[in-house]
This record gives sequence, C-alpha cells and structure tokens, in this order.
Amino acid sequence: MVIENLIRQFLSGLSVGMVIFIIAVGLSLIFGTLKILNLAHGSIYMLGAFLCYWLTSTFSTAPGIFWWALILAPIGAALFGGVIEVVLLRRIYGWHMMYQWILTFGLVLFVGDLCKLIWGVGYHMVSPPWPFKGSVNVLGVFFPSYNLFVMVLGPIIFCGLWALLRYTTLGKIIRSATYNPEMVNALGVNVPLVYTSVFMLGCWLAGLGGSLMAAMSAVTLGMDASIIIECFIIVVIGGLGSTLGAFLGAIIFGLAYTLGIVVFPGVAIGIGFIIMAIILIIRPWGLMGRPE
Amino acid sequence: MKSLWNRIYTFRAVWLAIALIFLFALPSFLSLGHTSLVIEMLILAVAACGLNLIMGYAGMVSFGPAGLYAVGAYTTALLIVKANVPFGLAIMAGPVAAAIIGFLVGWFCVRLTHVYFALLTLAFSQIIHTIIFQWYSFTGGDNGIVGIRVPDYIASINHYYYFTLALTVVCLALMWMIGNSSFGKTLQAIRENPERAEFIGIHVRIYQLAAFVLSSFFLGAAGSLFCGFNRNVFPVYAHWIKGADIIVVCLLGGMYKFLGPFLGSILYIILDKVTVSFTEYWPLVLGLIIVLLVLFLRGGIAGFFTEKFSATTIRGSREER
Amino acid sequence: MILEVEGLTKSFGGLMAVNKVDLQIEDRELSSIIGPNGAGKTTLFNLLSGKLRPSSGRVIFKGEEISKLSPREICLKGIGRSFQRVNIFPRLSTFDNVQIAVLSEQKKTRNLFIPVRKMVREKTKEILESVMLADKEEVLAGLLSHGDQKRLELGIALATRPKLLLLDEPTAGMSPEETKKTTELIQEIVQDQGLTLILIEHDMSVVFRISEKIRVMHMGRMIAEGKPEEVKANNEVQKIYIGEEA
Repeated sequence: MVIENLIRQFLSGLSVGMVIFIIAVGLSLIFGTLKILNLAHGSIYMLGAFLCYWLTSTFSTAPGIFWWALILAPIGAALFGGVIEVVLLRRIYGWHMMYQWILTFGLVLFVGDLCKLIWGVGYHMVSPPWPFKGSVNVLGVFFPSYNLFVMVLGPIIFCGLWALLRYTTLGKIIRSATYNPEMVNALGVNVPLVYTSVFMLGCWLAGLGGSLMAAMSAVTLGMDASIIIECFIIVVIGGLGSTLGAFLGAIIFGLAYTLGIVVFPGVAIGIGFIIMAIILIIRPWGLMGRPE
Repeated sequence: MKSLWNRIYTFRAVWLAIALIFLFALPSFLSLGHTSLVIEMLILAVAACGLNLIMGYAGMVSFGPAGLYAVGAYTTALLIVKANVPFGLAIMAGPVAAAIIGFLVGWFCVRLTHVYFALLTLAFSQIIHTIIFQWYSFTGGDNGIVGIRVPDYIASINHYYYFTLALTVVCLALMWMIGNSSFGKTLQAIRENPERAEFIGIHVRIYQLAAFVLSSFFLGAAGSLFCGFNRNVFPVYAHWIKGADIIVVCLLGGMYKFLGPFLGSILYIILDKVTVSFTEYWPLVLGLIIVLLVLFLRGGIAGFFTEKFSATTIRGSREER
Repeated sequence: MILEVEGLTKSFGGLMAVNKVDLQIEDRELSSIIGPNGAGKTTLFNLLSGKLRPSSGRVIFKGEEISKLSPREICLKGIGRSFQRVNIFPRLSTFDNVQIAVLSEQKKTRNLFIPVRKMVREKTKEILESVMLADKEEVLAGLLSHGDQKRLELGIALATRPKLLLLDEPTAGMSPEETKKTTELIQEIVQDQGLTLILIEHDMSVVFRISEKIRVMHMGRMIAEGKPEEVKANNEVQKIYIGEEA
C-alpha cells in the first residue's frame, strides 16, 4: 500500500512538475532575454486556463473541443501578452528592477480582477479529452492517462524549445540578443521585434500550461498567485534564464512536493520555499545558471 | 545661506505643529468609521516608512515586508492570548521580535544583490507564512487568533486612535532622525554606488544588515499596532501580496522623500475606500493606477511636487540604478 | 619604501592581464604608468586597491601584505583611488559626495541621531575648495559637467586621507585648459599633503609635467621604467607608441 502510494505520488509529482515546467520555462526565457521578472506570468497562465474553460464549455458539443482549446487558448494568451509587451513593457526595459516588478504586479491585480469580471468567482472544471478520459495501469497503480499525456508532453516541449534556441536562426538571434542587444541591433536585426516574439512565446507557454492544467485541476481565481510562486521556486532552483534548469527544477520541485506530502505533510507545503531559500543562500545562480 | 536654511526649517516646524494639532483634533469631527480609517492610515504609514528605510534610502528592493509585519502582529497576539502578557509589553515585544527575525533573515539576504536579494526576501516571507499557517496548535493556523483583549482605556476607537497617533509620531520621529543621520546618508551612498562606498571604507553589508533590522523593527511595530486595532490576526498578513501593498504605498507616495510613504498611505486608503464604494473591482482600478504610476509618476506624489519646485533633480533615466 | 609589488600576476582564463609585475615605490614619489590600451594598467590598479585578487604575487604596503584584503580594508590602510569611468554618487549633492567620504574616514558613519548636515562641514568644504568645487556644493553630482565630475572623483579619493593616491586617468575627456588646471591642482595637493602618487594617464603633457618617474606597461608586463627623459628615449617604448606623439 505504501509503495502504491509512493508510486502514485511519484507519477503525480512528475506530471504536475511537467505542467509547471511548461509555465516556468516561459518565465525563465522572458527573464533571460528581456531581463524582466514578469510577475504577471501567473496571470497569463490563469487567463489561458480560463480561455480553455470558456471554449470547452461554450462549444461543449463540438467534437474534440478540448484539442481546439489547447491550440487556441495559448494563442489567445500570446496575443494578450504581445499587446502588453508593446504597449507597456517596451517603455520600461532597462529601468530599475523595482519599477518593472511593481508594474507587472499592477498587471497581476488588473488581469486577475479582469478574469473575475468576465468569469466570476466560481470553481470550474474541464474534463480531460478523448482519448485520455480514463486511467491506466502504470507500475501497478491506476493513474489518469491524461496526466501521463502531460508527463510526456513536457519533455517534448523541452526538446522543441531546446531545438528552437540552438538550431534555428530565430533561436540564435534570441540568444545573441540576450547577450548583446546593441550589437544585434547594429547588425540590422529588429531587436524590439525579437523581444516581442520572446515575450509572446513565454506567454504562449504560460497559456499552454494553463490549458493543460485546466483538465488536471480546478480553474479558479487565485491560481495566478500560487503558480507564480512555484515558477519562482523552479526558476531559482534551475537558474534564471536556463531552459534545462527549468526542466530539472520542475522535476525536483514536483517530486519534492508530492513525496514530501507523504512523508512530512506539514512541512511539505513550505518545502518549495525552503529549497528556494537554500539555493539562494548557497548557490544563487541555480543549478544551471552562471554566476554573475 | 544659513538664514534661508533657518527659514525653511522653522517653516517646516510650523507645518509640523499644524499637522499635529490637526491630527489631534481629528476624532472630534470625524465619525468613528472615519477615525478608524485614519488609524489604518497611520499604521500603514509606519509600515511603509519602515520599508522605505531599505527601499528608498538603501536601495534594497524587498519582496518580503509582509513576513516581518506578521511577526510583529503575531508576537503581540500570542503574548496576550497565550501568556497573558500586559498589552503594553506585548506591543513593545512585537517590533523587537520582528527585529530579531529581521536580523536572521537579513544576514542571509544582504549577501545577495538585486533580483536574488528580492527573491530570497520573498522566500523567507513565504516561509514565515507557511509556519504561521501550518503550526495550527500554536498559531491557530488558518483560523488565526481572534478576540484579542485590549486594555479598557484604549478599547474605544477614539482612544486607540490617540494611542496609535502617539506611537506613530514616535516611530516616524525616530525614522526621521535615522534618515537624516550620518547612518542614513551612508545608506544613500550605498544605494547610489555600493562599489564606491566600499572603496571609501564603508562596510556595505553591515550597513545593509543594520538597515534591514531597523526596517524590520518598524514593520513589526506596525504589525503590533494593527493587532491591537483589529483584535484579530491572520496568516494572510504574512503573504507576499499583502507585502506588495506596502511597496505600492511607498511608490505611490514617493520613495526618495521621507514623507513620501506617509502621503502614499493616506492616498492609498482613500483610494481603496472610495473605489470600493463604487465598484467591487478595486484590484482592477488599483492595478491600472499602479501601471500608470510606474509609467508616468515614478517619483510618486512627493516626487512630483518636489520636481515642480526644484530645478536640480535628475529625472529617471534609462540607466537609473 | 611605501609600496612593494613582487611578481604580481592576474590571469583571466588564459589571458594574462598583469604578468609578473614588480614595483618599488618610494614614499612621496610622483610617478605615472603609461602604456597602450589593454596593457593592464587599470587591472594593476584594481589589484593594488583590492578590487581584484592576484592570481599570484604579493603587494606590500608600508611593510604589510595587503594582497588579499578587501577594498574597504585597503582604503582604511591608506590607499585611495579614483576611477577611469566616473564613479561617484550621482543623486547625492556634490557636498554629500565628499562629506560621506570624510565621515567614513573619521569613523562617523554610525551615528543614528545627529543630523548629518551638521557634521564635518568644515573639512568637507576644505576639500571641495581644494578641488575647485566649492561653488557647486548643492548641485547633484550626476548633473555636474564631466570635468567637474572628474575633480569630484579626486575629491572623494582625497577625503579618505590616503598616503598613497592612485589616480586612473584623472584628466580623461577634459579640454586642454581643464587638463592644465586639474594637473596643477593635483600637483599642489600632492605636494601640500606629502602624498605618494601613481598616475595612469594617456595625456603625455600631464605625464611629463607631474612625474619624477615613468613606468611603461605593455601586454601585462612592466617593460620600462625610469626618469621621463630616459623613457622617452627608450627604443622599445617608442616602438609601442609608433604613431603617438608625446
């Protein structure tokens, strides 16, 4: 029984970890390139989740609606992010971190309440789509197949991002712009466009995470505040700006949390913060980051 | 030059006297509800000015003032409810406890800079929140601690108002002195150029730690005052979103002037109550105000007025540290 | 001998920014270090003032080894330094900039209760006058002209009462007139207070006017040293400076 429980928690930790990875890597990318720690990243995630819920509930009779929502909601989130970037964030690049932080905090309040205005205060659930409606037997434990799907999707997204950054022209431009935006600009690259693209990519990831999470957990107000903290924890563990770091950090966090709940329930809630504090104290740049 | 200085000084003293008389007389022409609001403003002002010791003066951006505020509030609450400590002592113990925790937290935090410093303060604040939330047997967890008894002579709103006013004046006076002292100047130098400060012989980390401890003391004081005001304490006081309110107040009022956070807290509470009477979407409005504030009025209210009357300010530049 | 440097080396990865440099600086000596860009002069200053730790070698100041000390500790021992790129406190007034250095030197920065504007006023004014900034007391340092900022740099360094003054390109970016003015200023101060001076400069007129001794660095090594005329006539030095007129 104990083994079964542990296996279930282990799988749960991995699947939750993968969703959070998808969200956190967006935050990491944005910080790595734009040097902004976007507090409103959680709000975009929540927006994605609500969009997904809204699409699936409004067009509930359409076949495969969840898959459509999974495509459309992140795009919606990305577009919203694009507007924010162009209208607001562009003005504050290079400003002191505190102003950037407070501005994105203002967005957190705004977007959060906007969701309340549009969708109200209730809990909403989205049911997992066909073909992942049931549970399967994994290592002797029954586990929702949807969660397995998410667990597999995580590494796929990771590989996709890795390939994008490393092997495509856009990826190289993004990486160069991270290190030396003036130079890249002088070479004729439209740096503001690059920044907008990166931000939209980050928001797309957040929206994707939100849509995926919608079928795993409840869609409700307040999910923005809880996820952003978890993203911070992961990004600190993995190193701000590192894709691989976010991946490892998410796995570590997911497992520490779900296994910790079995072993030390009282402490587990805070385990993320304790790990975060320890990493910041002994190795602030995280597992994969570079010391400044 | 000297006579001009003297004139400004007495000018200020006169304004101070008027303000104090005004504040003293306030309960006589305000309703109890409004007097209550002013108490909240005063407490928020103490918290914001306390935070400003590290933010405005030392340039250290903390995401975690809520944790220290809650330490003050809970220390007072626990001493009264669990140990029957007299109210006066409990109120004084709050800031002291916050200062001690501030020392422990700060010792780790000041070894970091910029975003890492901010994230570690956030982590500690959330750890404090988790401890309060989870330690059900001691802190009452999610239920908080309710029904805190306050001595009869300050039990009424008006009397608590005077009590708060007195302590607020004391706290602000202390912070004013600290801000204008050589210690305060040293903090500002550290803010402007920590490297150069080292090169002229200043031990930057120790000063930052001292500032952090002092800041924690006043945050804890505000927490204790609020505990006595609200007669209840809840874990949410330690949550980072509450802390963000204090930061916004600093920005709203202006971080580089002493009275900035004070003005900010007045404005914040007014905006809060006014907006809430019109719409339930106060966060929406506040979010919008914050965004506009950051974009167009970074010096806050106080900064705005100072710029209008002064020709020698440096406008925020892209390289602003 | 006030400063001895033995085999000082600093490498960054494979790059030897400073390569086995030896120095003997006499008390009250006025010397300059010259060399092309990238020769390692500022890195040498960084090593002497504690900003960088040597990869190997030693720095001995007044008989004490200071190689591993922090900038703060080295300042307290009596080495003052100005920076190539202006390194002041921009949003504090000119007065405050100097005052904070004076307060630090007199160990008066710990006070919590006395209003700071009453402290060390005379000494601060004295220093401001010596660097010709007395009339710009109230101006925010970031708003000063470049030349004034460089002199403020000097003022801050002087306020810490150093015995050895390291000035890194104190006249960079100044007009010829300002350069002359500042150079005379430096000479006066240094002679008045009996300081030892090491100057990094590219402007040869400054170098030849002030220095009793010139040292030449190239690619991290000290390749020549001697009286100004000797160095001027040195073939190797001339080779490095082909195209540069003294």
